[in-house]
Amino acid sequence: MAQITHLSDLTPPSLERTWLTAPHPTLPIVATCSSDKTVRVYSLTNFTLLSTITGGHKRSVRTAAWKPHITGESVLATGSFDATVGIWRRWDSYGREDGSGLKAAGTTNPDDDKLDGNAEEDEEEWRFAVLLDGHDSEVKSVSWSPSGMLLATCSRDKSIWIWEDLDDGDNNFETVAVMQEHGGDVKCVAWHPVEECLASGSYDDTIRLWREDLDDWGQVACIKGHSGTVWFLDWEGAENVPSSSSAHVDTALASQWRAQTALSGPRLLSGSDDRSVRVWRRQPKESQMASQSSSAATGIPSIIRPTGTDEIWEEDAVLPHAHELAVYAVAWSKRSGLVASTGADGRIALYEERFVAENQDPDAMDIGSGEGVLKTEWVLIAVHDGAHGIYEINHCAWAKRADRGSESGEEVLVTTADDGSVKIWTVQR
Amino acid sequence: MAEMQNENPTILNAADLPTRLQPTATSKGEYGGIFTSLPLPVDFLESAPTSDSEDDNLLEEPIDEQEIYDLISSISDPEHPISLGELAVVSLPDISIKPTLPDVPGSPLQTVTVLITPTITHCSLATVIGLGVRVRLEQSLPSRFRMDVRIKEGTHSTGDEVNKQLADKERVAAALENGALMGVIAKMMETCH
Repeated sequence: MAQITHLSDLTPPSLERTWLTAPHPTLPIVATCSSDKTVRVYSLTNFTLLSTITGGHKRSVRTAAWKPHITGESVLATGSFDATVGIWRRWDSYGREDGSGLKAAGTTNPDDDKLDGNAEEDEEEWRFAVLLDGHDSEVKSVSWSPSGMLLATCSRDKSIWIWEDLDDGDNNFETVAVMQEHGGDVKCVAWHPVEECLASGSYDDTIRLWREDLDDWGQVACIKGHSGTVWFLDWEGAENVPSSSSAHVDTALASQWRAQTALSGPRLLSGSDDRSVRVWRRQPKESQMASQSSSAATGIPSIIRPTGTDEIWEEDAVLPHAHELAVYAVAWSKRSGLVASTGADGRIALYEERFVAENQDPDAMDIGSGEGVLKTEWVLIAVHDGAHGIYEINHCAWAKRADRGSESGEEVLVTTADDGSVKIWTVQR
Repeated sequence: MAEMQNENPTILNAADLPTRLQPTATSKGEYGGIFTSLPLPVDFLESAPTSDSEDDNLLEEPIDEQEIYDLISSISDPEHPISLGELAVVSLPDISIKPTLPDVPGSPLQTVTVLITPTITHCSLATVIGLGVRVRLEQSLPSRFRMDVRIKEGTHSTGDEVNKQLADKERVAAALENGALMGVIAKMMETCH
């Protein structure tokens, strides 16, 4: 079992509903989206408000995402009920004033003095870069591709847009694709951690996967597994390995696991209005091709048949039942492999994936002789009721712990609720 | 307004509807002296939300089905100047209050379920009526209540579709920011106490 302990609130909170808090990929800061049309940037070092981004959106800010892989500057994309997506920029200087200096050593250059002298005022501010206009109704989710080149946005208008950040210094974005296959609001989009593959969850109860094939973005899979709106998706970390009870076999197990899962790649995690949290796995391409060629019986080698890019995604696991109302968010830690879920019941649930001993009988082990397939089980390791008092929790996310006294490698869980509160939690295992 | 969906709805006599509201108006005088400052259930229901919601949540009295009925039965139908109670769109037996998390002892969360009976089975205004009921409850009840507003089974041709919309928090939140829709809802609520 594990213990969820409250570390701090982010202060001062929004006075209206907050929808989502996005941790910065490298800096110890988060961005919280509020119904008051603003985005608040808080420090994870001292849990206080650093900036409030205002004036860009005419209605609730529903979602935000930090662009990865940029240095010296932070870029935030925000999605609003006003149907637009905003792009905001700010030179990285948080923490300088208290001397701790967030800039990595060795990055100082002569230009810094000039900047500090000329543009100190501007440097403290978030610059509104561009407004991406295209959706017909509320924008629900935004996500940057792992390279930071592509931005996916989705809306109640049932469409997903993919924009390319041209990075031309002029804040130009080009529309790369508009996908309209979903039969209802697209609630969330999430990019695969390493490949240019996008996952989306919808009011039509499906999860869909999208890839580019010969310059055209198209659907490669449609997963019909949930019996309610799919509210949130998150991917498994590329290096994730389940937990094992005995430490000494760890390395052997880990390499066997990596070999076993290499072809299917990172799994996808989903949370739904049907109260369930599920894990999905791509059927390895090889076995997929084999099954296709055997049924097709065309005589043409499967490798050159125009099979398209279709993928088969299977249900890998249904996590132990933990929620009595809609699950609004799920988060798969890239550090610990723990999964967190939260929702309308105001509960935080934590799950751990563990290796299962195939058979305790030593004779059976011999028969397997390393050929056996590793199996895992998901265990509910902690439930925290009333995490935000009586309020519904709209989002949860894992972040690197950064407050004084924390050790490197530690992580925190960040939860965001209807009353505007954002809470930071630690997990003891 | 366009053609009416239902020109001749059945109307119940307002005097026959169950209510607890009227007699309480005079009962206030019975309380005097040191008790006047105590929060009474009637104060909680009728006073404008001047205290912040935190206080409401702490000081509230138990809320029962009758009080839920009194909150929503006075909402007007969007196309008739008649209340949802008089039209029997909402009725006392179709309201229930249950613990949201029965397995968690002491959890303050309660789920209010309201089943709506549209006057005709293809009424396209069912969503608006349902939204009006949900908004009225969200604005009147403490935050510990979870709203479950649904079309009564078998009373509407697209009931499941309407129910899914009414249960979608994000859609309801966005509707609250839609001026035109909120104008209609506000008009329906003009007749509320």
